[in-house]
Amino acid sequence: MPTAPDMALIDAMLQFIGVFVSFSVAYVALKGVRQTESMSLMRLGLAFAFLGFGFLVESLVGLGQLFPRLSITATDVVVGGLLLETTGYFFLAFSHAVDVVLSKRMGAALLILPVMSLSGPDLANILSILSFYFVMYGVVETIYSYSRTRKPDTLFIAMGLSLLGVGTFFQWLSLLYQYVAVLSLLQIILQVMGLTILFTPVLRFAVGGVKVNGPV
Amino acid sequence: MAQYRTQVKIIADVLSTARDMNVEGTGVGVTALLRRGNISYTRMSKLLSELVGSGLLLELTGEKISKYMISDKGIQFLAAYYSFEDFAQTFGLRL
Repeated sequence: MPTAPDMALIDAMLQFIGVFVSFSVAYVALKGVRQTESMSLMRLGLAFAFLGFGFLVESLVGLGQLFPRLSITATDVVVGGLLLETTGYFFLAFSHAVDVVLSKRMGAALLILPVMSLSGPDLANILSILSFYFVMYGVVETIYSYSRTRKPDTLFIAMGLSLLGVGTFFQWLSLLYQYVAVLSLLQIILQVMGLTILFTPVLRFAVGGVKVNGPV
Repeated sequence: MAQYRTQVKIIADVLSTARDMNVEGTGVGVTALLRRGNISYTRMSKLLSELVGSGLLLELTGEKISKYMISDKGIQFLAAYYSFEDFAQTFGLRL
């Protein structure tokens, strides 16, 4: 059975993978904004930039547990990291919500928001459950998008988002039942698996080697 | 339901028309670009001079009419545009 410092180290390493994947997706999306001035890519880029910073803060908190001298385990920092992540997930859902509004079709999932957000007693709980809601909203919209485009990659991304969503759900559970250490590990494993799936379009993009000198 | 095209989408449409319809290699006339680009003549004229100015299109000036041909930079732009469109679609988004 891994000890608490082992768990903290594994957790921090997995969070760093999250940082790398999130910033990679954000980089490609924001590069796309420069080329195409697309607001959808802008929101996608912002979403992953926030997620990346959120994971970064959480990984630093994890490292703080290994090195108590750093003393960055304060609750405010944890909440700050969660806030960044939730903002990322919000932009992820918002990218789809704007598409929905533009096509004059409102997703019924939006109605669930007030109910879900009241389920946690403190801010960290509320942020976690909000993240879960936002990701699942993204999943529904991505699947809807797949029904339009029939692009298998879109379905694959929906799967990645689902894993991310289940991960945030476990994050919420781990906050509720802090004595069950495995919940936290399960959360980060699911999130990293989800993020790794989201990394595939970036890989394909990198292999494609798109080159244009400056915006039009 | 009709969807609004962004300026970049219109540029991509014009460039892809100039590329696809230039079968004989003598360029494509404004009428063909208008038909496929689906924008007004005034807007198309302005857009064409901008695209020629930025080096995405080449203007082949004849005795009576001008014809347009996609440049290497234009082909490069289209490739990038389609890559980013594909990237956005993978995430279930429209560019």
